[in-house]
Amino acid sequence: MRALPGKASRQPPGPEPVSRDAAAADQRRRILEATADLLAEHGYQGTTLEMIVRQAKVGYATFYKHYADRDEAFLALLDAATERTVARIEAAFQREEGPWPDRVGAALGVLFEDVAAHPNVARACLVEALTAGPEATARHERALKRLAALLRPGRELNPRQARLPENLEETLAGGVVWVLSQRLIGGEAAKLRALLPETLEFLLRPYVGEDEAAKEAGEFAEAISA
Amino acid sequence: MPSEELGPLPAGRHGYSREQVAHHQRERLIAGLASAVAEKGYAAVTLTDITREAKVSRRVFYENFEGKEECFLAAFDVVVAHLRELVGEAVEPIPDWPGRAIAATRAVLTFLASEPDLARLCLVESRSAGPAVSARFNEAVGQLRPLLSQGRAERGGGRPLPDSTEDSILGSLVSLAFRKVAGGEAEQVEDLLPECAEFVLAPYLGPDEASQLVHEAT
Repeated sequence: MRALPGKASRQPPGPEPVSRDAAAADQRRRILEATADLLAEHGYQGTTLEMIVRQAKVGYATFYKHYADRDEAFLALLDAATERTVARIEAAFQREEGPWPDRVGAALGVLFEDVAAHPNVARACLVEALTAGPEATARHERALKRLAALLRPGRELNPRQARLPENLEETLAGGVVWVLSQRLIGGEAAKLRALLPETLEFLLRPYVGEDEAAKEAGEFAEAISA
Repeated sequence: MPSEELGPLPAGRHGYSREQVAHHQRERLIAGLASAVAEKGYAAVTLTDITREAKVSRRVFYENFEGKEECFLAAFDVVVAHLRELVGEAVEPIPDWPGRAIAATRAVLTFLASEPDLARLCLVESRSAGPAVSARFNEAVGQLRPLLSQGRAERGGGRPLPDSTEDSILGSLVSLAFRKVAGGEAEQVEDLLPECAEFVLAPYLGPDEASQLVHEAT
């Protein structure tokens, strides 16, 4: 925020003062982070507004300035986190210039990276979102559909293309989410990397066949360990 | 488990033992919870809803359960036990693995389609019923793992399937069924049989054999 004309002289010298926008953004970030951390420990039903306010170290007035209630904060967390990760995944898919299996590998790598880097946020999006009512479930579904769309070009590589089930992509994406959720619930976010090649193999197999999928997964394993 | 089939217990001397009455009351509470959840969703259900549906007193509720979550857990366990029985009966007479896998898939989907309220309780409501129920749900799904992994023996030599294959398959099917049931289409879950059965068989038998076997069986 730039100082208004005539007021510049009254600004104290030294570093730029924190603008009101930046302060508000910081408050929202703290609220959402606190929400994610609490959800990981207490689950959606066990997390109250009071707990969020205390953990985020903000006042109730500040909380209500940004969100109407706990549900709205949770939905904002889902929106911010899924948008960040899904956009990063889509970008990685687009950036990769190799054939489709390589692009899926690049996208999957980003998904696993984000989940491992922010396990509590991932848990909120992948596990708790399904326990928090229709609005949250719908958001989870929308994110899943965007990821599923990246798999769809694989159909062109399959000689049995016409006979692949209509929901195959969502079903596969759901399987990946399930495996990730299980690992998050088990507190194994740090060990996700080892799971990456076989998850890629699982995603590719229906499209390119077992041998090709295994070969791709093997090459991918080498590439990520290099 | 519609509770309207169970009228209130007659007052006074009815010739039931204390244990029989207690057992009966517990069942009524479980059935009561199932109807209340079907009507309002787990989050909105109150103890009053459950005891009203079950036609028992609040005191009786607390003699049986600590709270709503424990009662839900009991209901969930009853449904899962029933489902396990159905799957067991379906696979028992079938000697070959592909046939068993198809029969198990059919048994689960048929049950979910014929009991939409219970399907919702198990797949959808269970997710909002606290960590103990979530853990039980994951456990229940995990119990199907051996049924799938027996398919590994069907494969010739060569490279074994990755360890997470069964979890990935089960997770995919749960996600598929969840979306149908959450979308209010539990009755149509049976239509997914060919798709689901093929999805189960394909990693073990290859897509062509899987497709042919499922085609013959459905």
